[in-house]
Amino acid sequence: MQLEKSKGYRQVIKWLKLNKKKPFEFQTDAWQYYAEGYCGLVNAPTGFGKTFSIFLAVVIDELNKKHETKTTIAKGKIIKKKSNQGLKLIWITPLRSLAKDLARAMNEVCTELKLDWVIGVRNGDTSQSEKLKQKKQMPEVLIITPESIHLLLAQKNAFSYFDQLQCIVADEWHELLGSKRGVMTELAISRIKGLLTEMHPERLLRIWGISATIGNMEQAMEVLVPYNNVLKTIIKADMEKKNEIHSILPDHIDMLPWAGHLGHKLAHKLLPIIYKSKTTLIFTNTRGQAELWYQTLLAQDETLAGQLAIHHGSIDHELRNWIEDAIHTGLLKAVVCTSSLDLGVDFKPVDTVVQIGSPKGVARFLQRAGRSGHSPHETSKIYFLPTHALELVEAAAIKEAVKTQDIESREPIVMAFDTLIQYLVTIAVGDGFDDEKIFFEVKQTHSFKELLPQEWKWVMQFITTGGTSLTAYNEFSKVSKDIDGLWKVKNRQIAMRHRLHIGTIVSDAMLKVKYLTGGFIGMIEESFISRLKPGSSFTLAGKVLEFIMVKEMMVLVRKSKLKQAISPSWLGGRMSLTANLGALLRKKYNETLHKTHGEIELDFILPLFEQQAKVSHVPKSDEFLVELINTKDGYHLFAYPFEGRQVHEIMAALIAYRLSMIKPITFSIAMNDYGFELLSEQPIPLNEDSIKSLFTPLNLSNDIVASINSTEMARRKFRDIACISGLVFQGYPGKYVANKHLQSSAALFFNVFSDYDKHNLLLRQAYDEAFYQQIEEPRLAAALNRIQISKIIIVKTYRYTPLCFPIKVDSLRENMSSEELSQRIERMTAESEKRLSPTQRKNKQRK
Amino acid sequence: MNIKCRGEQFILNKERAIYWPAKHMLIISDLHIGKTAYFRKSGIQVPDTVGLTDLQRLTSLIKEFHPENLLITGDMFHNKINSDVNAFMEWRRSYSNLNVILIKGNHDTLRHEDYLALNIDYHAKELCCAPFRFIHDIPEEIDEFYNISGHIHPGIILYGKAKQQLKFPCFYFGKQQAILPAFSIFTGLKIMKPQKGDLVFVLTPNKIIQV
Repeated sequence: MQLEKSKGYRQVIKWLKLNKKKPFEFQTDAWQYYAEGYCGLVNAPTGFGKTFSIFLAVVIDELNKKHETKTTIAKGKIIKKKSNQGLKLIWITPLRSLAKDLARAMNEVCTELKLDWVIGVRNGDTSQSEKLKQKKQMPEVLIITPESIHLLLAQKNAFSYFDQLQCIVADEWHELLGSKRGVMTELAISRIKGLLTEMHPERLLRIWGISATIGNMEQAMEVLVPYNNVLKTIIKADMEKKNEIHSILPDHIDMLPWAGHLGHKLAHKLLPIIYKSKTTLIFTNTRGQAELWYQTLLAQDETLAGQLAIHHGSIDHELRNWIEDAIHTGLLKAVVCTSSLDLGVDFKPVDTVVQIGSPKGVARFLQRAGRSGHSPHETSKIYFLPTHALELVEAAAIKEAVKTQDIESREPIVMAFDTLIQYLVTIAVGDGFDDEKIFFEVKQTHSFKELLPQEWKWVMQFITTGGTSLTAYNEFSKVSKDIDGLWKVKNRQIAMRHRLHIGTIVSDAMLKVKYLTGGFIGMIEESFISRLKPGSSFTLAGKVLEFIMVKEMMVLVRKSKLKQAISPSWLGGRMSLTANLGALLRKKYNETLHKTHGEIELDFILPLFEQQAKVSHVPKSDEFLVELINTKDGYHLFAYPFEGRQVHEIMAALIAYRLSMIKPITFSIAMNDYGFELLSEQPIPLNEDSIKSLFTPLNLSNDIVASINSTEMARRKFRDIACISGLVFQGYPGKYVANKHLQSSAALFFNVFSDYDKHNLLLRQAYDEAFYQQIEEPRLAAALNRIQISKIIIVKTYRYTPLCFPIKVDSLRENMSSEELSQRIERMTAESEKRLSPTQRKNKQRK
Repeated sequence: MNIKCRGEQFILNKERAIYWPAKHMLIISDLHIGKTAYFRKSGIQVPDTVGLTDLQRLTSLIKEFHPENLLITGDMFHNKINSDVNAFMEWRRSYSNLNVILIKGNHDTLRHEDYLALNIDYHAKELCCAPFRFIHDIPEEIDEFYNISGHIHPGIILYGKAKQQLKFPCFYFGKQQAILPAFSIFTGLKIMKPQKGDLVFVLTPNKIIQV
């Protein structure tokens, strides 16, 4: 039967008509494909009803099935009415805040279509009583996070939950794709699919993803649906979301600093925008910056108090919920936020979005722009507020990328052994598993398709005997084989501890912040609090708070009388420019001087470029500029590859190493998204001829290993790995006090494994992550190859240039040193005399 | 490294021990025997070689100094009797002439009989041996005794230019008390902020450095 003629389809269309709506083509396409049994990925701009493309497909299917049962009964055939209540649709969302909104929308549909479905939500915020209710009777639709699905799999009798399951949807799949949470999703799907194949081999489980536009849509679908024996397709909505991008410009170029990352000097320019809009979301890149901007805006206009809110990941979830509700009802005039509000929440009153500082990537910028004008055909309006002059070029580059839809890819994570280990223990805590069956399932996922039998064997040994077969650990107990032949966790305490630690988001030890008189404000990193003295003040959630004491993993505070205080800096790391944006940036440099463009940002910044051209040179996209500047600080080398901070960090170390091969020399290194600096006390041995050989891609891998302290990098990566694989417990703030006898640290395990268990795959994973995620070797090689075919421009001068200035003042400096550990120690001992305490050092850097 | 403390000579060893020649006494703290086995029992993969290494280090110290007394200022046993403790029992038999004295720490919760069986002479709180008081954690009140303690696993960060830093365990000699580094290598560090006049001896892999 044709879908259009089916009862369910007609019912849905009728309902839409009543609401004066008509389905978009991509929606009806999705319904059609779903009815034909396809899996796949839906890609549509925000605000066009991506949710309904799949949700209504499932609803139509259900309505049709209902109808069929009815007709069979009407025909008089005696069939026992089987209870078909139970979970039909699993809807995976990356953010908890999305769940409430989705449930509301889905509930509305079900009520109006007279479908007696219960829509359930399950995530970290779900109450215990609600979870118990779900255990007794699963709702038909469950909106859930990847972590919570794994928690379901960690329950006994988990398979019974999925008995009626028809479809799994991964919403905002682009967001999960590039993270270990994506791997969790892949593994959960593989298990649920496996369970269903066992119980109901005839059932066709549909797996669908919903994604914003990314560079690798094909791959995104293959990761979500890696199975070869299913039909799959990508449904792309061929309509464009209209965007309007405005830069907020000061009255004169001189009012924009050459360097900096706060941008609060332009705050007064933001006020008129806030006034004339209904609700404005102001995006910052870090939580610390958000706190600062909140203070700045209030200082600019005190009448904003009560209408201005702050929203970020460290704010207590009740407060966040309140803020989100207040945005919905239009109570707030503006909200200063971080990526915590990036994703698809549909806030109707929001009509304006402001981005402070460079978003560093096209996809992220579009995502944020999409927060305004959320309904179809409305225009998304986004204002860009530069924090320093050169960021205006980034604004122009982003505008172009948006026009040409040049959007970054998200690389899926592969071979995450830590996540695999966690998953295996999870299902061992649940009903137990058959290792052959699970190996088959795991091997089918994209993440582990390269998994070798010996690696699998190692992982199994790691969770069953602790070490490899020859060195089985004494008294080790975790997963063991039960009499029914399944691998299980029998120790209840181990099981309980494991459940508390399911997840792959690892944060620094966080403490809850609470008023002395009661009431939670949010969370703060332990390392920040440990630097505070009782009586000193800090800001959180836009409030100035006086620190009283830490008690039972709780930071007790009271309201401070001070107007301003230090903002905590959460260890978020700075984002690096993506490769796409880097390439566009180089192109924009061309256009600025030649005035072959129509962008006001580039016109505005022209005087700065003219100055750069006067004292040095403005690099064109086929040129590679190196500035050699000699000042009283020493000899500087500035190079401008425009490849992003992360690539520059490695490249700088590489070049420093290669230079030090020519003659013994020590460098101090600094970098930003545009270029890097090497600073030395001695003249740098460099000329036009030697540059190309210095920047050669030949011998790259070896030179990287020699130039970078890969052990240090791997050690940093190991922090997350140790947590995820269950070696170290992070302990939830206020929720769970870790067993004192089991306290340890990731660094300790890193040392222990390095000394006693070199072949540990988790150790290898740490090095792999350092090389491919941190060092990005392929991108580095591409950059070096580009430099090889570029025209080299060397400029020698005695003054800092506009281009080099932001690098010069950047506080993140590193040293390149080829000295041995013992030498380093002795040098440091000598220096420790003039050592500054960490807080003093920080202050100094800020200045 | 030789130092003078309250008129007595101490030899600091980089294997996290003090030798007090006058009393033929080797002093260590926070041995945490059984910690790795306890971790393994709780499902956390720690190689057993880690615990054995601690015992081997102790053996080589005894071969170096030939002490008559081994004093442990607390946290000798991490948890209950387990395979690591059994390994220690074996070790103890081969050094049956050695006096082992334990000042009980917060982790030491074995039964009286267990200590007897292990031939360990234990003190519940402290041992005064003028001019020193050996105790697990620093007492709040100051008196004529100089306290020698453990418990906190002191460590120190050495800072270099350009945000470089390295962490090491250390001996910490204050005005009224000295704190020993944890003997076990499977322990973390509490980073100390030295006060003026305090002496810090950093244990780097090859030697001891005073900062």
